[in-house]
Amino acid sequence: MTHEHRRRVLKGAALGALAYTVGGAELLLSPREALAQDIPLKVLTSDERAALEALGDALLPGARDAGLAHYIDQQLSVPPGEALLMARAVGVMPPYANFYRAGLAALDAASHKAHGAKFAALAQEKRSAFVEEFRQKVPDGWSGPPSPFFYFVSRADAVDVFYGTVEGFARLGIPYMPHIAPLKRW
Amino acid sequence: MASEKVDAVIAGGGASGLLLAAKLGQAGKKVVVLEMGPAIGLDDLVSSMIWSRRLKWGGVPVISEGKNPVGHNFQSGWGLGGAAMHQFANWPRLHPEDFRVKSQYGRGLDWPVSYEELRPYYDRIQKEVGLSGDHLAEVWRPAGDPYPMPPMKWTRQADLLAEGFKKAGLRTAPMPVAINSVPYNGRPACIYDGWCEAGCPTGALVNPQVTYLPVAKKAGVEVRADSYVTRVLVNAKGDRATGVEYYDKEKRRQVQLADVVVLAAFSASNPRILLNSKTDQHPEGLANSSGLVGKYVTAHITFSAFGLFEENTENHIGMSSAFGMSQDGYVKDSHPGFGSYTWTIGVAMKPNDVLGFANARPQLFGNALHDFMKRAARGLARIGVQAEELPDRENRVVLADRKDEFGFPLARVIHGLDANSMDLFNHIKAEGERIMKATRAKETWSSPAPGLAHFLGGTIMGKTAKDSVTDGYGRTHDVGNLFITGGGLFPTIGGVHPTFTLHAHTLRTADWMAKNWGAIAG
Repeated sequence: MTHEHRRRVLKGAALGALAYTVGGAELLLSPREALAQDIPLKVLTSDERAALEALGDALLPGARDAGLAHYIDQQLSVPPGEALLMARAVGVMPPYANFYRAGLAALDAASHKAHGAKFAALAQEKRSAFVEEFRQKVPDGWSGPPSPFFYFVSRADAVDVFYGTVEGFARLGIPYMPHIAPLKRW
Repeated sequence: MASEKVDAVIAGGGASGLLLAAKLGQAGKKVVVLEMGPAIGLDDLVSSMIWSRRLKWGGVPVISEGKNPVGHNFQSGWGLGGAAMHQFANWPRLHPEDFRVKSQYGRGLDWPVSYEELRPYYDRIQKEVGLSGDHLAEVWRPAGDPYPMPPMKWTRQADLLAEGFKKAGLRTAPMPVAINSVPYNGRPACIYDGWCEAGCPTGALVNPQVTYLPVAKKAGVEVRADSYVTRVLVNAKGDRATGVEYYDKEKRRQVQLADVVVLAAFSASNPRILLNSKTDQHPEGLANSSGLVGKYVTAHITFSAFGLFEENTENHIGMSSAFGMSQDGYVKDSHPGFGSYTWTIGVAMKPNDVLGFANARPQLFGNALHDFMKRAARGLARIGVQAEELPDRENRVVLADRKDEFGFPLARVIHGLDANSMDLFNHIKAEGERIMKATRAKETWSSPAPGLAHFLGGTIMGKTAKDSVTDGYGRTHDVGNLFITGGGLFPTIGGVHPTFTLHAHTLRTADWMAKNWGAIAG
């Protein structure tokens, strides 16, 4: 990343924006804006996106509409040293895409084994019951990263996009009080 | 490609590396600092817990294993300034007995340095960088100069929690912090917005970019970011370091020759570099005649207790450091589980990240998590602990089978807590729950299992070449012009945060190196 580009991205960070490439042009958008503009994903497949969004909304309703899949996908497309994911802080081995792919595949495989359908196809109550199960112990048919750890990281991602923003702070009624001031709310 | 030979090359542009560089530069030495991460600046410190992860380790992966793995990435740093760029800035001193655990208690190890020898350097550092605290209220504090600034203000959260300590029969005091309570040395006072962990761009919190980096640059020190040191190079006899090998941003191999080599990378990286620097004369790795390079990795045992109050705890105000402390549990053999500990009282919290609201109740999800977040934003309060883990040779850094892109094995860190540590944790957990129940909180709970903070040891100092990697100045026993700085030197870690001690010890080394340069550099 060039110095000028880094400055631009960091300025965007104050807006809560990430860099998305559309038709060869780079746009600084919040994940919610990227979702609204239906920016194509670069890394995750449609099946992985469906599983991630369903999981995100089970962990924290509203995470999907806050742009969870676009946030994760954009972060998986940058070098690990530039990533903002909780996965980085808690020592997931890069490339982080492997972690998400394996975890989401395990989620669907175990869901299919227990309930005969992928996680996104389960009714809401069944999704919640399955989350309650795999957050505590690895279920049958799960072969990715340990399910309690995948729960921890995925839940943190959902909290990031929903509450870790200027908009999220406002939802909780607490002032954001930045040193480097955002120019607008997410 | 070999660069012009310099007096000293320092691998690592974090707290200890930049402090040493500044002092050697001021002593007239030509110094080059090689920092693995990018050249971040203060204006890169975005106030966001999401963006704060840019300050966490982003380099060559470190593999953490064992019964209780140490969270390497969260503890270490990425970019110029290192881990100190996201430090919380709790800066208590070690106590005199922390330096002589083996000789006083027959357990653990001894330092080759006493508190009395280190005290002048604690005093000098706190004057140079600025500390806020109340030395009289800290009834447990060892001898030392008063803090140069008054303590930080307390919020309602701290008052409510201190009430619980008082009812439980424990004394409290303001936490000494490396944050300005008032303007100091041209740097402004803190504005209590709680973004310390995301990096403080105002200069109110002590980080290397506002303390020793400017001094180093003024003294002519050259700092090269994006420079990944892989090996220390030695002469044909293997008894003198000649420089370091590193890879630049374009992945080109470079050599920096120097009279003196200093490893100031993180505690996992220094042993890795030494082990990867093996030669015919040093088949087990450089400076490793003791077999102790990588051994005795230690971390502080952590615990949190939470309370939900009906009244507003103002938990969004404050610092990432604690408001208060209690060291009534510091006497190592006065309770079940041998070791010292310090209670931390109250902390500013954000909704997300490792220490945010959400992770106070990790089992909650769905609408129950939304409900909790709303209640936490108004009434959550937290106490924590830093407890001593005794050194255990089995806790270690070794080379992994997996290699980096240049063919050098990665570091693999193996760590577990022993029965004594668990006894200490269980004692602390019971005490913490008692304290929290003594508050006015309507709901209380605590973390069920121990956490770990800081990453220390791995290149311990000691009195002899048989029982340690370096002497009391961080000079390796085997190679007279090769030094190590930082928390990796600590043979024992006490029950306090390490950053103040790390600074004091590095300053002592800097003084000694400057005075004895001729003998060191040869």
